[in-house]
Amino acid sequence: MPKVTVDGQELDVPDGATVLQACELAGKEIPRFCYHERLSIAGNCRMCLVEVKPGPPKPQASCALPAAEGQQIRTDTPMVKKAREGVMEFLLINHPLDCPICDQGGECDLQDQSVAYGRGASRYHEHKRAVTSKNMGPLIKTIMTRCIHCTRCVRFSEEVAGVDEIGALYRGENMQITTYLEQAAKHELSANVIDLCPVGALTSRPYAYEARPWELKKTMSIDVSDAVGANIRIDSRGREVLRALPRINDDVNEEWISDKARYQVDGLTRRRLDKVWIRKAGKLQASSWNEAFELIAAAKPGKDIAAVAGDMVDCETMFAARKLLNALGSNLVESRQTGMNYDVSNLAAVNFNTGFAEIENADAVLIVGSHVRWEAALLNVRLRKAAKSGAKIFLVGPEWETTYPAEFIGADVSVLHDLPAHVAEAMSKAERPAVILGGAALAKGALHPALALAAEWNLVRDGWNGFNVLHFSAARMGSLMLGFAQKGGMADIAAAKPKVVLSLGADEMDLEPFADALKVYIGHHGDKGAHGAEIILPAAAFTEKSGTYVNTEGRVQLADKAVFAPGDAREDWTILRALADALGVSVGFDSFEQLRAQMIAEVPALGHEAVADYGALPKADMSVKASGAMSYPIKDFYMTNPIARASAVMQQCSAELLHGEALPEAAE
Amino acid sequence: MGILSKIFTWWDGATIGTSLWSSRNGKHVGTDAQGNRYFRSKKPDARGRERRWVIYAGANDASRVPAEWHGWLHHSYDDLPESHLPPPKIWEVDYTPNATGTLSAYRPKGALEQGGKRARATGDYEAWTPDA
Repeated sequence: MPKVTVDGQELDVPDGATVLQACELAGKEIPRFCYHERLSIAGNCRMCLVEVKPGPPKPQASCALPAAEGQQIRTDTPMVKKAREGVMEFLLINHPLDCPICDQGGECDLQDQSVAYGRGASRYHEHKRAVTSKNMGPLIKTIMTRCIHCTRCVRFSEEVAGVDEIGALYRGENMQITTYLEQAAKHELSANVIDLCPVGALTSRPYAYEARPWELKKTMSIDVSDAVGANIRIDSRGREVLRALPRINDDVNEEWISDKARYQVDGLTRRRLDKVWIRKAGKLQASSWNEAFELIAAAKPGKDIAAVAGDMVDCETMFAARKLLNALGSNLVESRQTGMNYDVSNLAAVNFNTGFAEIENADAVLIVGSHVRWEAALLNVRLRKAAKSGAKIFLVGPEWETTYPAEFIGADVSVLHDLPAHVAEAMSKAERPAVILGGAALAKGALHPALALAAEWNLVRDGWNGFNVLHFSAARMGSLMLGFAQKGGMADIAAAKPKVVLSLGADEMDLEPFADALKVYIGHHGDKGAHGAEIILPAAAFTEKSGTYVNTEGRVQLADKAVFAPGDAREDWTILRALADALGVSVGFDSFEQLRAQMIAEVPALGHEAVADYGALPKADMSVKASGAMSYPIKDFYMTNPIARASAVMQQCSAELLHGEALPEAAE
Repeated sequence: MGILSKIFTWWDGATIGTSLWSSRNGKHVGTDAQGNRYFRSKKPDARGRERRWVIYAGANDASRVPAEWHGWLHHSYDDLPESHLPPPKIWEVDYTPNATGTLSAYRPKGALEQGGKRARATGDYEAWTPDA
C-alpha cells in the first residue's frame, strides 16, 4: 500500500495502482482519451499529464506511471495546466471542427475536455489532415478524419472481444484505424467500440442523425435478448425507443452489451400488434377487446386452461397469468416452450451458481452443449478472461469458433460418462473447477450426469460453487421461480387437452398439439405465435412496462417503463386482470403495486434486487444416462426473438455478417 | 366575358361604369405580362395630381400587379417601367401573384391537401397485419 500525496492530500493507494488511479481516489479528475479501466494501458494520448516528484522535471503521463511510496503528485499547477492545453491543441490540429454535424456532439469526450482543459481560442491556420472512412459493417459508421488515435477500439477487439479485427496502419500523423482488409466487424460485441470511441470517429450507423443526447429520456432497463440480463439504458424520444446503451454493472455486464441487445430496439417499431384480432371463418379480422373477452368466456374453459410463457416476459406477467389459472382451478403453466423437460425440483441445479464475475477466477471449465458466444456473448468475455489467466477450457458439443484456447472433446453428450483422462484429471485437480451446461445438453438429459460429475469433482466447496446451467431466455429463471414448469414439460400440457391456451408471447412453441384449443396470443409482435392464434390480444414489449427479470445467475433485476405501448396495446397484467373479470373469477389484485406485493409475498426472493439463494445442489440420479448428438438451439445469433426478427438492422446483420450476402449500400 | 357578367359581376376586370369612365377620362399607358392594363387620368384631380389605376385581366386581386408597375401605380416614380427600369435579366423568374387561398397555395408536408402523407416522425410504428 504505497502512500502518496495528491495536491497536498495524503492517501494510501492499492498496490499496483497507477498515478492516475491514485488521483481518482483522491477525487481529482484527470482528463484522458486513451486510458480505459477495462483495457490495457496505451499511454498514447498524453492528456493525463501531471507533475510528479521525485522524477524528471517535466509533466508525466499518469496513466502509465505506477504510484510509488512518497510520490508528490500535483494536478493543479501551472505546468499541468499548460501541458494539458498543449496536448489539446495538438489533438485539435487534425480534428475537424464539425461538431454541429457530428453524432457524438453532446456526448463527446474531446468536446467536453476541450471546454474544460483546452485553450480558449485556436492558433491554427494550416490545412488539416483528411482520412478516408473505412467500412466496418452495418453497425459501425466511421468518419476517420475525426480519429485521434487513442486505439481504444483496437485494444477492445484484441483484449475483450478476442478477435483481431480492428488494427492500425502506418505511423505518426499518417496512422489510420481500420478493419482487416476493410471487412465488417463481425463479432457479437462489435458495437461496443462505439461507446469506447472518445470522439465521433466510430458512431452508430442505425442511429446516425436520429437525435441529440439531450433530447432523449433515459430509462434504466434490463436487456431481454438473452439470459445474461445485461443492464441497459433505454434512450427514448416521445413514444419511440431510439437506442439502448449499456449501464455499468460489474457483476453482470461490466460495461458491454451484445450487438443484439443494442440494435434490436428498432424492431420495436415494426410488426407491432396494436389492435385486437379474432379469427373468423379462418381469417384474422380486426375486432374489439369486449368481443375477444366474450369469445374466451364463451369457450367456458373452466379448469381446462393452460398458459405458456415466452422467452421475454417479465415475472409480473407470469405471476398474473398463474393467478388467473389458479383462480380457474388449473395449474397448467409452462415456460420451456420448446418442449424441454429437465428436472426443476431444485432450482440450484438449473442455475448459474458461480456467477458471471466469479467465473473469471475458474481454473478449469467444462462447457457442455452451449454455444457461449451466441447464447451469452458477455459470458464469453468472462471465459476469455479466465482463459487468459490460465484456465483450461474444454467443450462438449459441435465446434464453434472460440475466442480463447479451448479443446472440443466430442459432439455427443454421452462423452460425459466417459471423459478423456486428461479432462477428468484437469477438472478433478483444479482448485476452482466449473461446469457449464447449456440448453443443448439439457435437451439431451445431461442434467443428472452433470450433477454426478459435480459430486465427483467436488464442484461445491468453500466459497466456490462451480455448477452452472446457462439458459438463453430472459424469462427462464423467473418462470421457474414462479413454478411455470410441468414435470413432463410441454408434453404434459398437450396431454391435458386444454380448451383454451394462453400464449404469453410464446413464439417458439409447437402449436400442433393444440389444434382443437382456443389459442389466445398475448404479445407485442406479429410473429409465429400470432399467425397461429385464434385471438390476438396486443400487449406491451419489455420497454413498455415495468417488470422484474431474473437472469441465469438467479439475479433479480428491475426494469422501468420507457415508453407507452402503441395503439390499443395494453400492459400484459391489465389484460390478464380484465380477462379474469370476463371469466368471472377474482385474482385479488387491482393495481400493479398489489400484483407485485402479492408476487413478493409468494416468492420473497423476487423482492430483493440480488442473487436469489436456491440452497444446495440436489443429489444426482445416477440411473439417468445422457446420449445423443447435441445441436445448439440458436441457429442465427441475430434472429432469436420476435423483436430481433422484426428489426431491419438485425435482418441486415444476419444477411451480411452470418450469411455473407453483399448488400448494396447507398453511396455516401 | 359576356355582356351579362359585365353588368352583374364586379370581381373580374372592370364594371361597365369603370370601363366607360376609363375610356373617357383615362389614357391607356401600358400593359404588363399578365395583360393588366394601366391608365392615368387625362386631367389632374382636385389636388393637382394625376390619378393612376389598373384594370385587371381577370380576377381583381391587387397582388397581381408586378413589382415594376406597383412602383408606378403608387407614384414612386413617374416614368413608365419599360422606359426607365433596366431590362429584365434572363434569370429573373416571372412574377407570380400571392397564392394564399388558391389551389396552388403552399401546403406543408403532411397537410390533408397533400394527400395526408407525411414524412416519418418519431413514434411512428408499422402495425402488423395477418397478411404480412
